[in-house]
Amino acid sequence: MRPDAYSIIIILLTATVESGTILLFPIIGEIFTQRSGILNLGIEGMMIIGALAGFATAFITGKIYLAFFMGMLAGGLASLIHAFISITLRGNQVVSGLALTIFGLGVTNFYGQKFVNLQLAHTLPKVIIPGLSRIPFFGPILFKQDYIVYLSYILVIVTWFILYKTKVGVHLRAVGQNAEAADAMGVDVYKVRYFWTFFGGLMAGAGGAYLTLGYTPFWLDSITAGRGWVAIALVIFAMWNPLYAFVGAYLFGGINALQFQLQAIGTTIPSSLLSMQPYFLTFILIIVATLLVKAKHIGVPKELGIPYAREEK
Amino acid sequence: MSEVILQAKNITKHFPGVLANDNINFDLRKGEIHTFLGENGAGKTTLMNILDGIYYPDGGEIYLDGKRVDINSPLEATKNGIGMIHQHFMLVDTLTVLENVVLGLQSQGFYLNKKEIAKRIEEISKNYNLDINPYVKIWQLSVGEQQRVEIIKALFKGAKILILDEPTAVLTPQESNTLFKILKRMAREDKSIIFISHKLDEVMKISDRITVLRKGKLAGTVNTKEINQKELAKMMVGREVLFKLDRKPLNRKVEILKIENLETYNDKGIKILKGINLTIHGGEIFGLAGVSGNGQKELAEVIVGLRRATRGKVCIKGEDVTNFHPKVITKEGTNYIPPDRLKVGVVPNLSSVENAILRRYDRKPISRGIFLDYEEADKYTRELIKQFNIVVPRENAPVKFLSGGNLQKLILAREIKEEPALLIAVHPSRGLDVGATEFIRKKLLEERDKGVAILLISEDLEEVLMISDRIGVIYEGEIVGIVDIDLANINKIGLMMAGVHKNPLVKGE
Amino acid sequence: MLRFEKREKISVQLRILIPLISILLGVLVGGIAVMFSHVNPLTVYKAIFIGAFGSTYVFSETIVVAIPLLLISVGLILVFKMNYWNIGAYGQYIIGAIFGTYFALNSAETMSRPILLTVMCIAGIVGGALWALIPATLKAYWKVNEVISTILLNYIALYILKFLMYGPWRNPQNFGFPLTKTFDLNAQLPKLVMRTRIHLGLIFGIIMAIIIWIIIKKTKFGYEIRVIGENEIAARYTGINIEKNITIAMIISGGLAGLAGMVQISGIIHMLQIEINPDYGYTAIIVAWLSGLNPLTAMIVSFFLGGLFVGASQIQITMKVPIGIVGLIESSILFFLLGGVILTNYKLYYKGRKII
Repeated sequence: MRPDAYSIIIILLTATVESGTILLFPIIGEIFTQRSGILNLGIEGMMIIGALAGFATAFITGKIYLAFFMGMLAGGLASLIHAFISITLRGNQVVSGLALTIFGLGVTNFYGQKFVNLQLAHTLPKVIIPGLSRIPFFGPILFKQDYIVYLSYILVIVTWFILYKTKVGVHLRAVGQNAEAADAMGVDVYKVRYFWTFFGGLMAGAGGAYLTLGYTPFWLDSITAGRGWVAIALVIFAMWNPLYAFVGAYLFGGINALQFQLQAIGTTIPSSLLSMQPYFLTFILIIVATLLVKAKHIGVPKELGIPYAREEK
Repeated sequence: MSEVILQAKNITKHFPGVLANDNINFDLRKGEIHTFLGENGAGKTTLMNILDGIYYPDGGEIYLDGKRVDINSPLEATKNGIGMIHQHFMLVDTLTVLENVVLGLQSQGFYLNKKEIAKRIEEISKNYNLDINPYVKIWQLSVGEQQRVEIIKALFKGAKILILDEPTAVLTPQESNTLFKILKRMAREDKSIIFISHKLDEVMKISDRITVLRKGKLAGTVNTKEINQKELAKMMVGREVLFKLDRKPLNRKVEILKIENLETYNDKGIKILKGINLTIHGGEIFGLAGVSGNGQKELAEVIVGLRRATRGKVCIKGEDVTNFHPKVITKEGTNYIPPDRLKVGVVPNLSSVENAILRRYDRKPISRGIFLDYEEADKYTRELIKQFNIVVPRENAPVKFLSGGNLQKLILAREIKEEPALLIAVHPSRGLDVGATEFIRKKLLEERDKGVAILLISEDLEEVLMISDRIGVIYEGEIVGIVDIDLANINKIGLMMAGVHKNPLVKGE
Repeated sequence: MLRFEKREKISVQLRILIPLISILLGVLVGGIAVMFSHVNPLTVYKAIFIGAFGSTYVFSETIVVAIPLLLISVGLILVFKMNYWNIGAYGQYIIGAIFGTYFALNSAETMSRPILLTVMCIAGIVGGALWALIPATLKAYWKVNEVISTILLNYIALYILKFLMYGPWRNPQNFGFPLTKTFDLNAQLPKLVMRTRIHLGLIFGIIMAIIIWIIIKKTKFGYEIRVIGENEIAARYTGINIEKNITIAMIISGGLAGLAGMVQISGIIHMLQIEINPDYGYTAIIVAWLSGLNPLTAMIVSFFLGGLFVGASQIQITMKVPIGIVGLIESSILFFLLGGVILTNYKLYYKGRKII
């Protein structure tokens, strides 16, 4: 039976990466948004907008990478609403993000009717990377994926690099930790926040687009199933470091893939309890993460959720 | 010495209700350490902010190297070679020294050439003995070291003139000495330094020349070598005729407040109270004078339970209440008028009534079971308004729209009405107009006549002299002298406030 | 270019105008969206209006929808006033419905109607309150962010419901559909108005709105909540126990959401199933915010948002306009309101000239 068990594990882990990638984009996006001091709870809304935009583009044009790009862009544009309200108009960020989610769900329901239950003829093709895919065990899991997954690998590394090794990263971290000091040193706090909120939107849209272009290539209302909220929780778990983003993403993806498999092969555990596990796990994870993050030097960006206004003395 | 690098002519700056700088003239020579000396409110901060481009003067000009300059922003100040080291550091604690230096730097591109920047930082650090590792995170540094990071930031950007605002306020004596050595070395290397302070012994130690400001005006500029502390104190504090309010003779009652060996730390982790001993009786006003930053705020907070004492005792009416919860201490008959009205004293968005009942909402008659009796609350508030002449623009308007004076009167009224045995008032008339100020002082005297023990903490020496029965001076976390009002000599007090005469002439208790 | 300057006094006119203009603008946005679908927005809005208020029956349906919205939103108003973000009404609603169902299924024979209904109501309140207590305690002791914890608990609650529905509580006579058996008459909330579905829950809603209003305005608890929400530092100095107040407020909020769930299954659906309209938990957030955190205004706002929902449900069938229009309009109104609030405290200058 061993060859069977081995291949099952490979299948599971491959599915883990795929499922995790859906989350990986928005987690990284929100890490950067929050690092700038803006709390964007509208990820679920931006993801589903990206999911629909991507799906619709793919369905209409057949060009799948264009579709991915459009999904990203749609998410980015949606985030600008939240950005304008939170940054320029200093509105309540919690409620604005929630409104963005409701907006996203409403808009996609409204415009998505004609796509319901339709399926994409061509989804993201798997691209095998020669050489790397032969690494024992990890090769087939990590390097027999589609281009978007590979993009996510690069994203993690590039964003980590930007955050810790470049001036842009220094400015970002300063704005989120001490906006007054950053402002005093000549950093344009507003511009930085707009930029990274938009980036967060792009990433959320990317995650949503990947969902409907690769993972489940059909359209259903609320197909994101709450992943946007999980992503926000996993930002805390990643402790705002892009390098740790994939830990949470793949953990969730793994439990998700696992419970899927279990349901597929039929177990005695009721499927609803299985479906619950990823969310339950995330719940535990944020409690753990909150306790770990007590040390204030790896922690919540101090300016999170607080609008900035240069006070006239 | 050498040539003049910076000249300020006839600098004048108005703020609503106050003339902060009134025709100030001074010049800064290359390679000198020049101190601005003066009390709080003398105008040093304003002048300094003008040089740093944060304020723009209403009148007067600034010349750098003989050329007229207009400094419209901190960025322009930097371009003109002026580097400011604020009391309140502009550092991001989770970033490294290097990253803080790089913040906002125009010259750097996308990729941080950390090695190159680090090298330059180390060069500067070595040059002036600043001893800072570029890769360390700010939160790992002591306050003194953080200050030196600010100096490095200024030097990195090519500052030729450094302005330091009360730099030793946050330093230990040893760190201060280190700083002085560094500054002297910089001066030798042709940097010009403006040093702002109120501490006479330091000023004597470090400056080449001293410009004294008093109440917005220039009291004079002198060569350090040609003057002594006594004369400086006189320049600082002046010899005005103080009008005294009508005061009834002192009728001192039982001991109400007793503080023994009190120690605590401030928010930055520095020991700010180093062993306070103090006794106040009912029926007297004890005025604690001192330039702000010497521990007064923290002393008040410890007494009322808002800050932990790390050592020592606070006893009210004979009972040890050290580190008790503020609500308990209030119940024990202590009331507090905090220094920042809007942040701690009131709830800005709630109405006057709702703020007025903050101390007694859970007691009869305003409390009725689980309910609040708003009729009683209104009645109570109207009483306060009448008795204290508070002007409330509109009945239920949020209290943040009250003028400063009326807000303070509301707080004062609310606290006094609780009939405390001990009343702590911190900077009660700060920022208020003459009318409100006089009213508040009169009310404090009234309470004193009723037998209340009052601890008045104020940076306004005139206020302290006007209504106190005894005066103490706090300096660097210790009480350096206590005198009865009749024996108070304003110059001596000024000296104590400035750190001289640490061995007190203690009369009374 | 765009500059804000603090006002000397709050503009009362703007305080009232801004919510009204936000509603107008939100409706406008909805109209534009509809235009993109090649439908005449005026026809759509007229149809929504008629679909919500046009006949006695639809009018009553609007009230039916408003009931749970009102119950939940007044509880939310209490916690939102303290800046505590309970996004978990969805889950508290579900758990409340579940607790209520337990008695509906097991005690229908043994208890008389008034007693059974009372027990069910209490059960619903307890269920919701317990579910709310979890995030409240986590926040009080461990500072766990309540937005995330309440939302994750929503999903967990949903799966608990699904588990019960596909498992132990499934009615064996229902061909495998995930439903319980229909509640006995004993377990059904009585109707208030004949020939409509308006049930006793309406009275609960109105009473609770008034009670919450009284709590906020006239009790010490309400006073403490307002102080905490407006100035936490002053609250602490005054000796107010912030953690205790959060806990109590959450118990009330969760309890009300649970009651709403129980009231919905007992008064309308008459059974427990997977689709029991838990989305009211999210819509109630909008109601709370649009009401300006005022429980009395919430009565009006619940009614109108209820109408929007009912009307839109109608045209979903008659004009094929998808129900998403509701979310679109609601969120747009919310956006304008959130953005407009700044104008009550700040004047707006554009290129040096004052605009508002």
